[in-house]
Amino acid sequence: MKRNLITLITGAVLIVIFVLLLFTFQVRQSEVAVVTTFGRITGPPCEPGLHLRWPWPVQQVYKFDERIQNFQEKFRETLTADQISLITSIYVGWKISDPSAFLNSFKDGSVIAAQSQLESLLASDNITVVGKHPLADFVNVDPQQLQFDQIQMEMEQMVQGELQTNNYGIQIEFLGIQQLGLPESVTQAVFDRMKSERNILISRAQNEGQAEAIKIRANADRQANETLADAQAEATRIEGEGVAEAAKTLPVFQENPELANFLLSIDAIKQALNQRSTLFFDDRIPPFDLFHGTLTNPPSH
Amino acid sequence: MERNVQKTGLVNLAAALVIFIAALAVTAYVNSLAGQAAAIFLGLGTLVAFTSWFQMRLEENERLEKLEVEELARTRGATTLFETKDAGSFPARQSRELFEKFLVPSFSVLLLLLEGGGAYLLWRWASKITAGIAPERALPALALFGVFALVLFLVGRFSVTIARLGNHRLLRPGASFLLAGAYICLVTALGIAGVKTEFPQIDFYLARALCVLLGLMAVETLMLLLLEIYRPRVKGKVARLLYDSRIVGLLAQPESLFTTAAQALDYQFGFKVSETWFFQLLKKSLPVLFLAQLAALLLSTGVVIIEPGEQGVLEHFGRLATGQPVLDPGAHFKWPWPVDQVQRYRTGLIQTFNVGFTPTAQSEAEPTVLWTVVHTEEVNFLVGNRAAETITNSTADSGDRLKVAPVGLIDISIPVQFQITNVLDWAYQNADPTNLLQDLATRAIVHYLAGADMNAVLSQSRVEAARQLHEKIQSDANRHRLGVKILFVGVQDLHPPVKVAGDYENVVAATQQRIALTNAAVAGAIQTNALAGAQAFTDISQAEAERQQTELAASARAGLFTNQMAAYAAAPSVYRQRAYFHMFPEATANARKYILLVTNTYNVLQFDLEDKIREDLLNLNVSSTNSP
Repeated sequence: MKRNLITLITGAVLIVIFVLLLFTFQVRQSEVAVVTTFGRITGPPCEPGLHLRWPWPVQQVYKFDERIQNFQEKFRETLTADQISLITSIYVGWKISDPSAFLNSFKDGSVIAAQSQLESLLASDNITVVGKHPLADFVNVDPQQLQFDQIQMEMEQMVQGELQTNNYGIQIEFLGIQQLGLPESVTQAVFDRMKSERNILISRAQNEGQAEAIKIRANADRQANETLADAQAEATRIEGEGVAEAAKTLPVFQENPELANFLLSIDAIKQALNQRSTLFFDDRIPPFDLFHGTLTNPPSH
Repeated sequence: MERNVQKTGLVNLAAALVIFIAALAVTAYVNSLAGQAAAIFLGLGTLVAFTSWFQMRLEENERLEKLEVEELARTRGATTLFETKDAGSFPARQSRELFEKFLVPSFSVLLLLLEGGGAYLLWRWASKITAGIAPERALPALALFGVFALVLFLVGRFSVTIARLGNHRLLRPGASFLLAGAYICLVTALGIAGVKTEFPQIDFYLARALCVLLGLMAVETLMLLLLEIYRPRVKGKVARLLYDSRIVGLLAQPESLFTTAAQALDYQFGFKVSETWFFQLLKKSLPVLFLAQLAALLLSTGVVIIEPGEQGVLEHFGRLATGQPVLDPGAHFKWPWPVDQVQRYRTGLIQTFNVGFTPTAQSEAEPTVLWTVVHTEEVNFLVGNRAAETITNSTADSGDRLKVAPVGLIDISIPVQFQITNVLDWAYQNADPTNLLQDLATRAIVHYLAGADMNAVLSQSRVEAARQLHEKIQSDANRHRLGVKILFVGVQDLHPPVKVAGDYENVVAATQQRIALTNAAVAGAIQTNALAGAQAFTDISQAEAERQQTELAASARAGLFTNQMAAYAAAPSVYRQRAYFHMFPEATANARKYILLVTNTYNVLQFDLEDKIREDLLNLNVSSTNSP
């Protein structure tokens, strides 16, 4: 009897639990719920808390995340206004603004279906907006010409307008360009251009270095020549002074010019014969005149 | 009585079939792996219930046939007609024998294939599938599986009792499947409930466990089939049914395990251990203990312990609890699940994500990070390029300038560290705050680079870039109410892409070469100027020496001449001659001298006074020059 009582109590508790689970549902703080009765939406969206319901298949509860959902569009190649291929990726924060409209717009209120639809809109608006701007509006060192924020705003307004017009039950909270890039072929071309810029700098450094070295050497040579020329001029001047000083002794020689000239002749001969030379003398020239009259080669008979 | 058993079998079949179909539908609705395994088990139970019910009908027909024959024999007396042993005279018995001989083994083979195939396919399916239980559908599915368990338990328990009391062997297989199915449905419901707790993987592991159970059942069926071949057929002895699984029976009636254990203990100890008070108490109290354990488990969810570095958010029936919804580290009381639930967040943890690169184990282990070596999976970012713009402007005309984009590409590695400071904002404002923060940081970096000059970012603007990015990411996070504090933005690795990094290094090398060339030229200039100065000094010194020499020589020569004049005045001719002869030997010492004595007039002397021409001068080819 006691055992049957325990079994009964256990069974009753289990039944109560199962019944409660079937007839109630919870909506979390981050959620909002829509209840359908035989497929038709009944009542306003349910706020967080505990709610009663009829079990399936009479009523069905669709719960949606009420928070902002983050979604990133895939990388997409588009042409800018100046015909440059640009790869962009857009991220968008969206939330369910009207749960009933959201449930009607997407099968079973599928978030995946909503994001798929959103991706289509983003892709279209992305191409449209990017095509209106040159690349310099996306990337520019001049802050006046950079239109990054403006472009994002244009995209957001365009997407927001389409969502409101068609009443998808969702709204855009923010939108941003998450990534900018170039296609592989263009990337390679940019690499080539970057290399060529570096080559210019390399060439500039090497040739300017050589030119500078040549200039330094030439300047040094010029300075050296100037120094030597100044020195030679100074030397000539000094030598001239010596000559002038020496010339002051000439009146002494003028007292006996014959002797002075004779002595100068002797000095001249001495200096002239200093190098290798050949002299022919006959027996009339002193001191060889001592040989005069001497038979050196008598005739043969 | 027999008809009642047959009805019970039919009820078993109906219950198994209905709940099998319902379980299939609920499983598809909630996408539960354990539910799929449970549905397979219930499907097998349906087949077994059908087979056993069919066999009951055959035996019932045979029994009726036998009664009819006996009745005829009694009313008409014993004749040869009714004593015949011809099988054709007992079609019901013949049908039953044929069924047991051919169809039961065939059915067992089918059961083996279904059990083995089901276990194998479900195991593989569970490995591949990525989508889990839909959380919003968990509670209805949980409730429905609970209802299935309850219905199966009631029907199964009744049938098992009937089968045991009446020793109805044909009722037992289906009843065991129903009762075991009840427990499996209950376990499946717990697995589905796991998605609402911190153990969402429990459904997966339960599915694996049920696959193992199906596999064991397949092995058992195979063993039974093999043993059936060699089983001795003793007339009159009723064999256990081939499709009556002992494993399922044990699962349906775990108390039978108790009985078996008691028998083993009795045998081992040599006395009736199973009749001791302790054993009896244990046997009686076991269900109560089990229920108490479940109750304790439920009550234990009324206490939550928040670990250090964590914060919890308390929800009451899903709604944020009033009063103190944020729980700090320590023990807290709450209503048991599912009334109150706590979401935990690691608010003390410094979390990090990376923008622009994905670190790998290899890159983390590398001791050196070089521009020219790929060290992570890097992404090229577009960046402004003032140098390109300058070069373009200096080389292109105005028409081409529009077509040239002054952009560069740069690789970055920027780790961002953050900490959750407002757990409510973090939990309730954004569905995926971590991902959103990464997007915001990436967007801030892309935006900054789009307006920055590449060469400036690579060098002097790096610190400023880190500061600006830090402020920008923090302000964006605040604007989107992420509830985080950005602790660090590390602009630690900005460099040109690997494919052009070598060229950037070559520019540095060329700049150094330029300095080296200039330095060499300066050194040469210093040498030239120094030597020129020395030469100038030498020239001037020589000139001064010569001046002095000239002056002194002139003065000395004048003094000498004064004295010579006196000597000359004293003996003019002798002085001249003496001076001449004094000079002559000294002056002609190095000269070849030929003395011609003119007294010898008979011979003509010829002298070849040409110098010997040097060898190198002979090799000169001077065609236009005429030799004299």
